[in-house]
Amino acid sequence: MSIEFADHLRALSDDTLGALLRLRPDLITPVPTDLTVLAARAQTRVSVARTLDTLDRFTLEILDAVRLTRSPSDGTTSAAAVVAMACAPVGGPEPARVTEALQRLRDRALLYPARPGEDSLRLVATVDEVCSPYLAGLGRPAVELDTAAELQGAVIALVNDPARLRRTLLAAPPAARAVLDRLAEGPPVGTTVNRTEPVTWLLEHHLLVETTEGAVELPRELGLLLRRDAGPLGPLHPLPPAIGAGPRAVTTVDRAGAGQAMTAVRHTEDLLEALGEEPPTVLRGGGMGVLPLRRLAKAAGITEQLAGLLLETAYAAGLLGEVELGSETVFLPAAGYDDWRVAPLAQRWARLAEAWLAMPRQPALAGQRDLKDKPLTVLSPQLERAGTPAARRAVLAALGALVPGTGPDADELLEWLRWQAPRRMRGREELHREALSEAADLGVTGLGALTGYGRELVALTESVPSDEDPLGQRPEAVLPREQTPLVLALAELLPPPVDHVLVQADLTVVVPGPPEPALAAELDLVAEHESGGGASVYRVTAASLRRALDAGYAAPDLHALFALRSKTTVPQALTYLVDDVSRTHGGLRTGSAGAYLRSDDEGLVSAALADRRLSGLQLRRLAPTVLITPFTSGRLLTALRDAGYAPVPEDATGAAVLTKPRARRAAARTPLQAQPDALDAPGLTEPRLLGIVEEIRRGDARARAARRAPDAVRAAAGQPMSSLTAVQAHSHALAVLQQAVRDKAKVWVGYVDAHGANASRLVRPVSIGAGYLRAEDDRTQTLHTFALHRITAAAPAE
Amino acid sequence: MTNGPLIVQSDKTLLLEVDHPDATACRMAIAPFAELERSPEHMHTYRLTPLGLWNARAAGHDAESVVDALLRFSRYPVPHSLLVDVAETMDRYGRLQLLNDPAHGLVLRGLDRAVLVEVAKSKKLAGMLGAQLDADTIAVHGSERGHLKQVLLKLGWPAEDLAGYVDGEAHPIALREDGWHLRSYQREAVEHFTAGGSGVVVLPCGAGKTLVGAAAMADVSATTLILVTNTVAGRQWRRELLARTTLTEDEIGEYSGERKEIRPVTIATYQVLTTRRNGTFPHLNVFDARDWGLIVYDEVHLLPAPMFRFTADLQARRRLGLTATLVREDGKEGDVFSLIGPKRYDAPWKDIESQGWIAPADCTEVRVTLPDRDRLAYAAAEPEEKYKFAATADAKLPVIKALIERHGDEQVLVIGAYLEQLHDIGRFLDEEGVPAPIVHGGTTTKERERLFDAFRAGELRALILSKVGNFSIDLPEAAVAVQVSGTFGSRQEEAQRLGRVLRPKGDGRQAHFYTVVSRDTIDTEYAAHRQRFLAEQGYAYTIVDADDVLTEPPAAG
Repeated sequence: MSIEFADHLRALSDDTLGALLRLRPDLITPVPTDLTVLAARAQTRVSVARTLDTLDRFTLEILDAVRLTRSPSDGTTSAAAVVAMACAPVGGPEPARVTEALQRLRDRALLYPARPGEDSLRLVATVDEVCSPYLAGLGRPAVELDTAAELQGAVIALVNDPARLRRTLLAAPPAARAVLDRLAEGPPVGTTVNRTEPVTWLLEHHLLVETTEGAVELPRELGLLLRRDAGPLGPLHPLPPAIGAGPRAVTTVDRAGAGQAMTAVRHTEDLLEALGEEPPTVLRGGGMGVLPLRRLAKAAGITEQLAGLLLETAYAAGLLGEVELGSETVFLPAAGYDDWRVAPLAQRWARLAEAWLAMPRQPALAGQRDLKDKPLTVLSPQLERAGTPAARRAVLAALGALVPGTGPDADELLEWLRWQAPRRMRGREELHREALSEAADLGVTGLGALTGYGRELVALTESVPSDEDPLGQRPEAVLPREQTPLVLALAELLPPPVDHVLVQADLTVVVPGPPEPALAAELDLVAEHESGGGASVYRVTAASLRRALDAGYAAPDLHALFALRSKTTVPQALTYLVDDVSRTHGGLRTGSAGAYLRSDDEGLVSAALADRRLSGLQLRRLAPTVLITPFTSGRLLTALRDAGYAPVPEDATGAAVLTKPRARRAAARTPLQAQPDALDAPGLTEPRLLGIVEEIRRGDARARAARRAPDAVRAAAGQPMSSLTAVQAHSHALAVLQQAVRDKAKVWVGYVDAHGANASRLVRPVSIGAGYLRAEDDRTQTLHTFALHRITAAAPAE
Repeated sequence: MTNGPLIVQSDKTLLLEVDHPDATACRMAIAPFAELERSPEHMHTYRLTPLGLWNARAAGHDAESVVDALLRFSRYPVPHSLLVDVAETMDRYGRLQLLNDPAHGLVLRGLDRAVLVEVAKSKKLAGMLGAQLDADTIAVHGSERGHLKQVLLKLGWPAEDLAGYVDGEAHPIALREDGWHLRSYQREAVEHFTAGGSGVVVLPCGAGKTLVGAAAMADVSATTLILVTNTVAGRQWRRELLARTTLTEDEIGEYSGERKEIRPVTIATYQVLTTRRNGTFPHLNVFDARDWGLIVYDEVHLLPAPMFRFTADLQARRRLGLTATLVREDGKEGDVFSLIGPKRYDAPWKDIESQGWIAPADCTEVRVTLPDRDRLAYAAAEPEEKYKFAATADAKLPVIKALIERHGDEQVLVIGAYLEQLHDIGRFLDEEGVPAPIVHGGTTTKERERLFDAFRAGELRALILSKVGNFSIDLPEAAVAVQVSGTFGSRQEEAQRLGRVLRPKGDGRQAHFYTVVSRDTIDTEYAAHRQRFLAEQGYAYTIVDADDVLTEPPAAG
């Protein structure tokens, strides 16, 4: 068989073979050596399953038709037979569609001609292994089912007698008939926990077969009979499900999406700003805790779900990083964040959107719990899901395939995707649904439809680098960031930056559009931000003006700023407020000084200030009666006294500190005292003396015991030996030890200690049992426990 | 890219550029669902709130039309999520309905079974719901209609109240439009109210809210209970009703601390209704005294808390709330909406002014510099004494006199919060030759009436008012108000006080509103907060120094 398949491949033209490889690229990784290898690879389960995954529902249904029409003898079928079966029922698909589906199967080398020059087709055998045994939702033939001894071929007999089969079927009670109809729709198997009356009836009349305990199956022949009207394949789906919603105006979609894109960028910035102010700790298992996330979401005024998505996206876009700060690791905006912040909106969005499309993460999992009931957190490794980029691409591609402006609801779109690739979608609806809602949140879609710039985003993923351009010299790659089609398409939709404001009498300042960076910086300084979106609203307050004054603006600067930027007359209230705040600004001054000089006599103060001998003190007059100097009060005092003034120092409360002059003295010293003779020893008490004696004795014992362990023990401990020798040495050691226990004799024990080091010790074994040796050490008078498996050798002491 | 007048912000505020050619069309389109929050000279701010969106639903607008209006007038792309949010919010309205079932009385019906189940399980509704009648219907205790609506609103599933209103005891009332007519906005307000059944009408002071009330009464033509803030306001209502409607003296009763009359049209004060004796409210029977067809709440922003509770029991009766500012310093606007009814009509002050129905006003803040002695004393004062000290500073006295003189022979109201200060001002003005009697809470009703009549007749040039000046007193010819102290930073007090001089003058003169504050004290800060509401309504305050006022030569008019 395999040879025939290989021959078929060999007979293909180069173009056809190339087309096959394009459709099944997994066949050429690595490049096969010859066509026999290629044929073998094309028939592997993995490759066939991969190919089937890409097929749409109708093609798979036709594949079932192929399987169903195979002749039992040689396993071949013909296109005519397949078309005849598929188009048999009333309202079935057009034959052309069936032929097309067959061609798709042939293009992928799942189906190939069995005999040259004839309408005969053979299916690659592996297909049966990777597909459901219930083809087209039908049960197995009675021959395969009727194997149990007690049935004695009753089922086969029944299905082989069409008249009796029909009679039995018509006699079925309504409840039993309902069960049959349901099984005939497929899948043809059911379970019966408590055997109900209809099922019992059906089993008794051999219309159902019990395959295993509690599982029943409908024989194929009966299934076909029940599908008289719908056709043997059941209802077919030659066309993808219709999308109900009609297309909206493309501009409406684009504008809704662009609005959302702006919002997403702003929310991301808000989140990262809040994050930068109070960096959340990275949890031990990675990720951000629930509380910090809640705080960030609140700061940005969005849901935690959305905050999770935006944080994940920002992380993937490299705007967010982890940094070790002291003893803990925290999240912080990454180095590129500041550049991103001042970049034009469209570029900022493009960076986020591209990262989103590529990130293998499933943010929607955050907040749920894993199998161990531990919460899954944002930015943690547990959110890694390899399939997410594919799901996002699939959703966007599906939307892109529709008439521009069509915004289907999620269920419709998923139904459509399920038709496109039923095998791939199985169990992954949720992933696709999430991808769709994420696309809406980020503004890739607007009103459910793919936006114009969204198409450009999708196009990015399609232009994969080809072999002809291994160095990435494609025209797209050399475009600067601000000129990629994606950025250009989006920038056209976004409001242009404005450089003027509207100032109103309630002291609000409205920027009717996104402010220019310079304007934004000025407003951030002189006013409080109140609301953002298409426009920005700021409010001027006394506090914000004070901040501006602190930053170096003077009242005329502020007046000029408002006059320049405002398109309307600056209200009198604002002018007055600026003047009022600047009037009181700096009303109190602070500074530092080393010491002060004050006097009630202004003349005396002036004299001191004018005194040339005091010029080194850098005196400065604060008030008619106060001078200050950067030097300490001690130096001031000395200098004044030297110059012939009579100053008195003051303490912090203003009281005079009076000091009498003192003679200079060296530091204090302790006098010597009479002491007893050190060599006379009346201080030695009896217990202390005994202690000393004991110590000496023990030292002696230690010295005597410090003999070296016998060579045998050291050798066993030190040298590597073959395992057999080791076993022998070990059993020998055990024998020695057991003897020593009986004799109460001392032995040298060689062992490996807890750190893996070799050691030997002279001990008196007490007992052996439970895997441990207990032995006394005479030197330290302690009881040691040795694990037997750690003992390498033992030798009796002389 | 279109160049619409509207900018949609992501915090659900809408900025409307007033000078844009499409501004009027845009305002008409968004007014049904967005609340006007601020209306300064260039950019008006509207806010999308769930309440506003639900009111729009109740008035028959659907989400599609709201989204369409936003997209049509928006200058910049509108965030998709905001549109989704609008649609979802509006979709929540009307899933539950309050109906009158012929067999079971008041019932709550769920058009969406899941919502009904969710709501029925809520602990907050415990005790309000009766037996489950069928899968979609639950009986409701008739007395809980108000509470139920209030709680459902808080749960985010506002019920559509289709149970209707009792007609009440019919009583013929008609407007006597001899030589005057309802103004266009008054008529619109009444129409909006009639269409909705219950609700609040917001109009500036002096824009003729009483007439809206009278017209609503004529519309309903049933016995009416009018709730007012105090006796004097009640007398004004009475005078106005006698002049403008077919009602006669005998048909209007006063239920106050002084008199307890119940007539087809009864005017009661909040004060007497909320008087508590031995833990009960002895005057509540007035609500049941007759089968009222309409209840009018005057100055609904001042509605005292116990009144909310009484009102909850009156859900079957038509309710009309009237106010100039729905700003409540206690933040209970939501309760007003759910119990009295949604806002049915709102007009920016400046619009009414430009139509000439209220006098154009010029607001000025005069800053007085305290003498050094007072500044020191202020610095040393206890924090809780600071405002009183700054507000009642003697340095304000010459400024008040100068302001009175500045306006030649116009009639002046001096309004303050501290009696002691008002007496000082009275004495000072007397010495300076401008007699100015004081009206305060302790003044008898008779004396008040006498003084007000004298003022209206032009016999008095100046009048000093305590907090009684905060409420509806009709002194049409007063053109100048001087505010010397207030209740800290109360925004609605400021608006009410301005309202005293907004009655249109015979010759279209401008009104002047002065606030005298002490510079560099907490007085200035409070003044700034007080002015916020009016500034948001488009009144531009000019700030001047007291020296400028004192040195300028007195001008005529």
